[in-house]
Amino acid sequence: MMGISLGKSTRRSLLAMSLPVYVLLYAPLLLIAIFSFAPPPLARGQTFYWYADLLHSPEVIAAFRRSLTLAIGSSVLGTALGTLMGFGLYRYRDRRARGFASALPSLIIYTPIIMPSLVFGISELIFFSFIHGATGLLGAGLLTMGIAHVTFEAPFVALVVFARLSGLDPNMFEASHDLYADARQSFLHLTVPVIRPAIIGGFLLAFTLSIDDFTISFFTAGPGSTTLPIYIYSAVARKGVSPDINALATLMIATVIGTGLLQYAFTRNRTRKLVARPGD
Amino acid sequence: MAGPLVSAAMKAQHAASGPEVAERRGQIVLEDISRVFAADAIAVDRVNLVIHPGEFFTLLGPSGCGKTTLLRMIAGFETPDSGRILVSGREMQAVPAHHRPVNTVFQSYALFPHLSVAENVGFGLRMRRIARAERRTRTRRIMELLQIDAFAGRNPAQLSGGQRQRVALARALVNEPEVVLLDEPLSALDAKLRAELQVELMRMQKRLGMTFIFVTHDQHEALVMSDRIGVMQRGRLLQVGPVLDVYERPSSVFVAEFLGLSNIWPVTPLPGGLIETPLGRLAIGAPDPARGTAMIRPEKIWMYGEGGAPAGRANLLGGIVREAIYMGASTQYRVELENGAPLLVYDTNNQAAERSWRPGEAVTCELKPENIVLIGA
Ligand SMILES: Nc1ncnc2c1ncn2[C@@H]1O[C@H](COP(=O)(O)OP(=O)(O)OP(=O)(O)O)[C@@H](O)[C@H]1O
Ligand SMILES: [Mg+2]
Repeated sequence: MMGISLGKSTRRSLLAMSLPVYVLLYAPLLLIAIFSFAPPPLARGQTFYWYADLLHSPEVIAAFRRSLTLAIGSSVLGTALGTLMGFGLYRYRDRRARGFASALPSLIIYTPIIMPSLVFGISELIFFSFIHGATGLLGAGLLTMGIAHVTFEAPFVALVVFARLSGLDPNMFEASHDLYADARQSFLHLTVPVIRPAIIGGFLLAFTLSIDDFTISFFTAGPGSTTLPIYIYSAVARKGVSPDINALATLMIATVIGTGLLQYAFTRNRTRKLVARPGD
Repeated sequence: MAGPLVSAAMKAQHAASGPEVAERRGQIVLEDISRVFAADAIAVDRVNLVIHPGEFFTLLGPSGCGKTTLLRMIAGFETPDSGRILVSGREMQAVPAHHRPVNTVFQSYALFPHLSVAENVGFGLRMRRIARAERRTRTRRIMELLQIDAFAGRNPAQLSGGQRQRVALARALVNEPEVVLLDEPLSALDAKLRAELQVELMRMQKRLGMTFIFVTHDQHEALVMSDRIGVMQRGRLLQVGPVLDVYERPSSVFVAEFLGLSNIWPVTPLPGGLIETPLGRLAIGAPDPARGTAMIRPEKIWMYGEGGAPAGRANLLGGIVREAIYMGASTQYRVELENGAPLLVYDTNNQAAERSWRPGEAVTCELKPENIVLIGA
């Protein structure tokens, strides 16, 4: 996308201002990655020494498995719920509402998003222990973490889906009925394909949110449900930042960037396909 | 498509009303239709209207007068707060939009962003499960007619406003329904394409015998295309009639002014077929005029140069040209009459350019009695 053309001096000063920001953003990530490839003096030449070290730690492998299970499971559920939430809020919003009522859908979506995760985590903890105390169900563990993750992911997905729907011409749905589609056909041939990029984007977002979440996971975790971020935290707390943590962190960075690229590749491919598709 | 129950019921109804229905195919009856959004927002106010099968009916009216709302009720997206709508002789109240024999060209186009132009156009046929081969021919034919076949594979986002508008037109017309509702369907087109498509639309409408309800802001377009027009104001249908009637004999000042510039004055009747106007005393065609308003269209006034006026005619008024706006085929003059009253006159530029009048020249205007129209109130 081309912006408005700027003068040379303006461009220079903008660059001067933004450069430090980019450096601060990316230098630490880069540094960790570089450190992770520095083997200890005894193992000269073994670039992947710390990575191999990780693979030999059953604790790390188990935490990794758990994180992946949690992230995939919770984001599948969170996407399903968030999609319905976004669609419902769009479909049943009152277009004539004024003031508070008109802000209600965004309020419902944004409140959990802007809630500090510390507050969110603590309230989940209190909620689960209350339930546990009362019924004996929902002992802290992977399940409670999963529920908490689904809960905080769903509004993000809903936001993406709702934003997509709101950006569309509402007459479009009427047009589908005008062109003989009943409710089912309209949902199948219009709503789903139109919000599909938002659903996939929402899923990938939920996945990245889940895989690196620490705060909420920390409060809802139980014995034996240590995920990667929690493992990293406790390892660092115990013995400071050791080189294998660099490797682990680098792997997580790679996962998140990979997910982002996937999302980008998907949306781009889609557009290209739509452009190239010949007439029916 | 229709669930088995619904289609069975529809067929039964069809069989029951047989030939009568065939006769009313494409007829639209609006009985006392109102739509009230709020106490102070009456979008449509007790509209009564019968649109004949195969008619080209145009709705005219200022922005916000309820045209779109009226179309939306016929299409089934909006429920009237009172009244009945019949399409092709069938009461529409319980008929959902997707079962109505009506297709709409939306004011906002409402194209499907995830489908190509061709797929957009073919959507209705696909939903009706028309065979692929037929779908393809019909889609291609209508796209050629509307000159969008070159963009068949593109996405709506990659089209210009005018191109999108033509896709919206094609998407409705390809279904060849009994009734087409067109909400300002040519507004985004350039003059040349607009004129071409006006002709194509009229031709297609007549050939397929479709009923058109056409909304436009362009009174010229309304006059050119329609069989009849209806003028709306604040939700009410003020006047309905053939183009010529509404233009020549408007029933109110609002209608007169909406269909073009005119000279309008309050008048007092005098005995002997005369009226007292701000221009002076004028003879009119009618014997016993009522108190009210009189109008004459600027193109109905004859203008003569110094000494050129024929002697012995009624309603000859002298004046001075104050302003001349050249408009190509005609020139619009603002004349100040001897008693100071203004008069608007169009004169065809059928003379050499040097023969037209310039500001400051003295002229005589003739207001033929039969061209003065009494509007009543
Ligand atoms: N959903 C709605 N809620 C409240 N008021 C509405 C709604 N839809 C339309 N209106 C009001 O009803 C009136 C008629 O609107 P409508 O869209 O029918 O006008 P229109 O004649 O099509 O105007 P335009 O020529 O600008 O398209 C307007 O005053 C509008 O503000
Ligand atoms: Mg409108």
